[in-house]
Amino acid sequence: MLGRASVADGQAVDAVPSASPQTRKRAFWRQEWFLFLLFVAPNFFLFGVFSYWPMISNVYLSMVRWDMIAPVKTFVGGANFAYLFGSDTFRTVLKNSLVFTLGAVGGALILGLATALLLNQPLRWRNGARAVVFAPTLLSGAAIGIVWVYIFDPRFGLLAQLLKVVGVSSPNWLTDPNWAMPAVIIVYVWKNVGFSTVIFLAGLQAIPKDLYEAARLDGAGVWWRFRSVTLPMLSPIVFFLVITSLLNSFQAFDIIKVMTEGGPVNATNTLIFFVYEQGFVAFNAGRAAAAALVLFVIMFGVTLLQMRQGEERVHYG
Amino acid sequence: MGGVISRRNLLGGAAGLGAAVAGSRISKRSTAFAAPNVIQDTGSRVKVLYWGSYSDVLGEAEQALVKMFNESQDEVEVEYQFQGTYEETAQKLTAALQAKQAPDVSVLSDVWWFKFYLNNTLAPLTDLLAANNIDTSDYVDSLYNEGVRNGISYWLPFARSTPLFYYNKEMFAEVGLEAAPETWEELVAVAPELVQKDGDTITRAAFAHPNSASYVAWLFQPVVWQYGGAYSDADFNIMINQEKAVEAGNFYRSSVVDGWATTPADPETDFANGLTASLMASTGSLRGITTNVGDRFGIGTGFLPKVENFGCCTGGAGLAILAGSPAEKQEAAFKYIAFATSPEGTEFWSQNTGYMPVRKSAVESETMQQFFTENPNFKTAVDQLPLTQPQDAARVFIPNGDQIIGKGLERIMVNQEEVQPVFDEVAATLTEEAQPVLEALAALQG
Amino acid sequence: MDSQGSKPALPLQLLSYALMALVVVIVGLPLLWMALGSLKTNQEIYTLPVQWLPSAPRWDNYIDAWNAAPFGRFYLNSIIITVAGAGLELINASLTAYAFAFLRFPGKNWLFLLLLAALMIPEQVTILPNYLTLADVFGQSWINTYQGIVLPGASTAFGAFLLRQSFLSLPREVLDAARVDGCGHLRLLWDIVLPLARPVLATMALISIVAKWNDYLWPLIVTNTQLMRPLTVGLTYLFDQEGNTRWGPVMAASVFVIAPLLVIFAWAQRHIIEGIAAGATKG
Repeated sequence: MLGRASVADGQAVDAVPSASPQTRKRAFWRQEWFLFLLFVAPNFFLFGVFSYWPMISNVYLSMVRWDMIAPVKTFVGGANFAYLFGSDTFRTVLKNSLVFTLGAVGGALILGLATALLLNQPLRWRNGARAVVFAPTLLSGAAIGIVWVYIFDPRFGLLAQLLKVVGVSSPNWLTDPNWAMPAVIIVYVWKNVGFSTVIFLAGLQAIPKDLYEAARLDGAGVWWRFRSVTLPMLSPIVFFLVITSLLNSFQAFDIIKVMTEGGPVNATNTLIFFVYEQGFVAFNAGRAAAAALVLFVIMFGVTLLQMRQGEERVHYG
Repeated sequence: MGGVISRRNLLGGAAGLGAAVAGSRISKRSTAFAAPNVIQDTGSRVKVLYWGSYSDVLGEAEQALVKMFNESQDEVEVEYQFQGTYEETAQKLTAALQAKQAPDVSVLSDVWWFKFYLNNTLAPLTDLLAANNIDTSDYVDSLYNEGVRNGISYWLPFARSTPLFYYNKEMFAEVGLEAAPETWEELVAVAPELVQKDGDTITRAAFAHPNSASYVAWLFQPVVWQYGGAYSDADFNIMINQEKAVEAGNFYRSSVVDGWATTPADPETDFANGLTASLMASTGSLRGITTNVGDRFGIGTGFLPKVENFGCCTGGAGLAILAGSPAEKQEAAFKYIAFATSPEGTEFWSQNTGYMPVRKSAVESETMQQFFTENPNFKTAVDQLPLTQPQDAARVFIPNGDQIIGKGLERIMVNQEEVQPVFDEVAATLTEEAQPVLEALAALQG
Repeated sequence: MDSQGSKPALPLQLLSYALMALVVVIVGLPLLWMALGSLKTNQEIYTLPVQWLPSAPRWDNYIDAWNAAPFGRFYLNSIIITVAGAGLELINASLTAYAFAFLRFPGKNWLFLLLLAALMIPEQVTILPNYLTLADVFGQSWINTYQGIVLPGASTAFGAFLLRQSFLSLPREVLDAARVDGCGHLRLLWDIVLPLARPVLATMALISIVAKWNDYLWPLIVTNTQLMRPLTVGLTYLFDQEGNTRWGPVMAASVFVIAPLLVIFAWAQRHIIEGIAAGATKG
């Protein structure tokens, strides 16, 4: 599995003095295994208690009917899943999740990379600009909601006024089922582009300057330098960002809750919102657990795919 | 919180587990019970923990009420802790009940309390009411009756509101209306004159509807009653797809299709900015709407318009005592509820928050009468109060019933789908979701 | 794109400045509107079309917000929770990332996938079980305690993943040289790997601090009293159950919630930039 995962091992093997006798080598390995366990133990222990355990109980819950208060849980087998896959709403929800994730991840990553490249140039005031770009990630959802309701207002909002200049009339962003999803994606990208920008910037800092010098001496143009130096050297970060952004956007909740509550007519009802609605509002623990499991399986599958395909293209130092 | 269970419940749920596990469970529980805080406070006042959903201006009024109570006597001391919105309070209470960390008394809104009642977690209040010599007939009937099941009271009215009709006095004067319309027909007749357009965009509507998240199903409920229909009867027979309710649905749909009503993101903001001439909103919004309008125009209020009948529903939140609390604490907690919902308590609360006074006798008091002269719009709301009815089971007792209906309304108004098929679907979903409730009710009563 | 290169031609530079201005305006306008909102009355906020400037700046919003709830205490709680939470995350991330990048272990790749799986478990799934776990820790309740707020978020898959990626990109020769010199793993991590990865470390610290500072749902659920609550939950003390929220004080409070984060950002940015200097010499 995990295509290129042996990269790390390969590197470690290189580091072992190959001249050592075999017995010493084995002892050394064992010591290394022990150290590995020691290093990862606290992290995995906490995950075990606070993440994996809830997820395991979630699997059990997906097969019961329970209102979260009653002392008794009724075992219903696959009925919750049957309900989900037989429901039109759930199909809409799956489709919405896909659209939202593609739009949100694509937007945040492409714009994030572009902004990072821009703000990595020796420009004056770029630190101020970076602070502005990062600031939306610092804000809590509720206050953002009211700001954007004003921006999206089809009669007097900022966007409507801009569109008027170009001679286009504004859609009813938040109240039209066809436009609510793009609106929510715009806000998500606005709020999260600073996050990927900062990580891309950190990645750009790590690229040694001499690589560019060398490429320049070879007569490489701007685009070619980007293709041959920046992208490969950035690939570990890109790989990281693609996976984490996908997982984050599948779980994007605040903005949808604040802006549209999944509406109008379920137009922005995504899987995570559906889980919330079934669990926290309808108190239907079984159905929520089943939907959460579907979400988990999708995210797991996507990550596995990324790791197989993605890590082969990743260039490590 | 969706998919979740406790480790103990998981073990308990699986049959045939060893006695060792059961033993450890019991011992854990008994240690939890071994040190109740009350009894340690020997001789001093009984401490009562009270969870609520009020913050900012409402929270200050709540704190003041608790302080007044604590200073009024020396047996009970109430500690008020804010727990977030109604929704968040209910979620926290769910978790706390399982962990046996629940408070003694909690605020629960109209759509949440029944859930806790169904699971036997609310204490019956009838005996406590009698023991404290409280004349329950002094509570506004519709408000009190909503919290009564099988003749026993579980949920006493506290922060209650009702829908109210708001209109822009200047705009209504332009079309010759000097007061709120008595019937919807009256509004429909002048609606085209109230509407202004810029191309296809409605820049001024005659009326504005909220979306499902802002509880359109709460405001549509009285309209269904006005047409002579209902969402359901008290026994959970769903009636939303029957003739009268569908007529009401067609009226709502036509309001949008005919172009005189809109479904904006926030109707109250639209109203404050003159983008709609009228709307229905909670009496609880009166304070906010008044501030936001300022001196831009005069705000008029009126009873909800009629169709065949008059119809108006209750709303808001009440207080309940948790059955898991020791008897001593339940009694102490009830003393606070009695104080907060007493004529004096409710007068103070309603004048400081804009919620409805829950006692009939409170309305007649001198301070209240004076408050009415200063706030004539508030008087409209109080005058309408005796005419209200408790809500339909389909909205408040079926889990998520409010949103199931609300999303159906969005389909007919926003997507402009035909009413009958949509309401048929809504009715089917409601019937299905009512099943577990009916089973739980049967178990509770049988 | 190459910050270290010589200055690009003037037209290109002008274009860059124009683009930067555009980005700042697009991202910044809503922020400006919020900041100005903190000086307005509700009526001015609820005006369409938007009224940009308050007719008279209402500084009282800040005083009202500060007095609406014990924000001093909320600050203290937020600082404790953030320092403890982000600190533990940094330690966990560094150790885990080092192990996955440089130490051998059978089935390591599956463990890595298991680590990533932690990123796929939504908060909605973990809240209730974690509440129940913490309600009974060997007979003690950790509900409404600092450890109860911090511990469920003290582990990190995100940070470990980010650091692993950056550790793997470090120049191999430097590490090999250190190991040939007999450098042990702990010293290698502390003296060589962490200093070399400083830009990413600072980035991770920044993100971790922001996440802890802004965490809302879990602290709300696990705290019962005003005394234990952080700023984000404190912000909800300004909201009105009936929707009559006074937005001026809310926006003022938002400003004083995010102000410390902007300072942290400036600090982290300096380390990220100093990192370039270090990285440039390293080879």
